[in-house]
Amino acid sequence: MRLGRVAARVAWMMVACTTISGLLLAHVDRADAQPAGATPKKKKPKAAPSASVAPPAPPPEPATETTPAPPPPEPPPPVAEKDKKSEDEKPKVSNVSARVGTEMGAYTDTERVTVLTPSIYGAVYNPTGGWSVSGNYLVDVVSAASADIVSTASPRYEEVRHAGGLSAEYKPGDLGGNVYGSVSREPDYLAYTIGGASTYDIFEKNASILLGYTYGHDVAGKNSTPFEVFSRPVDTSTFKMGLSYVLNRRALLTFIYDTILQTGDTSKPYRFVPMFAPGTVVQPGASVQHVNEIRLPERASEHVPGSRNRYAFSAGFANRFEGATLRIDERLYTDSWGIKATTTDIRFLADLGQRVTLGPHVRLHAQTPVNFWQRAYVSKGVEDLPTLRTGDRELGPLTSVSGGTYLRVYVGGSGDPHKVGLGLDTYVTYTSYPDDIYLQSRLAALGAFTLEVNF
Amino acid sequence: MNASLLIAATLLLAMTMTGCTHVAPYERGILAHPTMTSGDLAGPSEAHVRAVHEGAVGGGASAESGCGCN
Repeated sequence: MRLGRVAARVAWMMVACTTISGLLLAHVDRADAQPAGATPKKKKPKAAPSASVAPPAPPPEPATETTPAPPPPEPPPPVAEKDKKSEDEKPKVSNVSARVGTEMGAYTDTERVTVLTPSIYGAVYNPTGGWSVSGNYLVDVVSAASADIVSTASPRYEEVRHAGGLSAEYKPGDLGGNVYGSVSREPDYLAYTIGGASTYDIFEKNASILLGYTYGHDVAGKNSTPFEVFSRPVDTSTFKMGLSYVLNRRALLTFIYDTILQTGDTSKPYRFVPMFAPGTVVQPGASVQHVNEIRLPERASEHVPGSRNRYAFSAGFANRFEGATLRIDERLYTDSWGIKATTTDIRFLADLGQRVTLGPHVRLHAQTPVNFWQRAYVSKGVEDLPTLRTGDRELGPLTSVSGGTYLRVYVGGSGDPHKVGLGLDTYVTYTSYPDDIYLQSRLAALGAFTLEVNF
Repeated sequence: MNASLLIAATLLLAMTMTGCTHVAPYERGILAHPTMTSGDLAGPSEAHVRAVHEGAVGGGASAESGCGCN
């Protein structure tokens, strides 16, 4: 019954996305079919996303990459009074542009978890005025029956998460700023986030500095239990520093340093950690049935520290070749629970003509476990449970390798193919858990279809 | 460890800053290509999968919000 309601909601979202897309495409077709004498819209570069370290104010995209640098502009000749009048009578071209898009993502893995994620987003922006306003909304429909659930004798479950966000940015000159806020809600979890950032261009706009702060307030609850009866607040402050600068005509370099201070109990109320008598040997990847045969009868709920300080430093390099772009990002991470991690992300995007961009994507992630991680926690009884205990395999040692493709096909009119874009992203991840009690590996696949229309 | 991370970041920054050249505004047309954006090219679905699969967060160009997943 509940699955039926979930399916109905997904169907409603897909119908809404399709309807919006159809209306947008119809609007674009009408705009393309304007009379030959009408003033064509000037193409504008995409607005930078909120809270990002934007490359310092590049001009609109040139017609070709090999266009030589234009000579310095000459002073305009004196305009006769009659010409001035005729200029005033010309229709004014709006500098305001807009972008609307939708994505439909589908995820599945070998742990029998499936997720459908329809989402929509949009932005209105004025590059010459230096402002933009954007928003997004998504729905996650999760269905799961993983080993963690089976091991606690819980039934397969479906859950729906709604998330939305708004942001606004204003950057009239070298100094700019943005504010943003988002809300995420699911039956047993509520999250609010607000934040802002300021950017300042230096070295004649060859570099840009970012300083930002984000505050998040989460409330974790239990399914079918009101928040008034059971809730655990979690507060998060994120301090962000960034620097982006132009290496040369074709290359950008970006650095981001995050300090994330989290307080509150993030233990999962549904997660129970099996306990074992001293001397019991448990091999990695043991079956649920075998673990249940050798474990102690206690059902110890997860318990992790009440605060966590997290630090991440990332460096990103992007270089535009003749007809292709190479992007390399590296993140180093550490936190007060003892995890040390490295994440490398590489994309190569090749232009196949004016209308197609295609390229591979590789991502590698490796991490050490938290300092209270144990595959099999030892106990002599209820009075002797380890103070800190977890069954979250993402807090254990793991290595993941992801590979995927990025495809964009631009189907706008011949004058501006990028006005309408269709996208297909694929993403396959193999994760190895060398010290997990139930799993040794997981294979996951994600596919996402996107449609974006620019006005 | 976080102190050494900060020192490594500062050293890397200093080394790379010495290699950059001044680029005039009219020479930055190529940098405006959509694939050169400083934001993440990953869509919301891929970003969420990463957040659930990896025990590390942060370091991205934009803010992340919480969710009760895992």
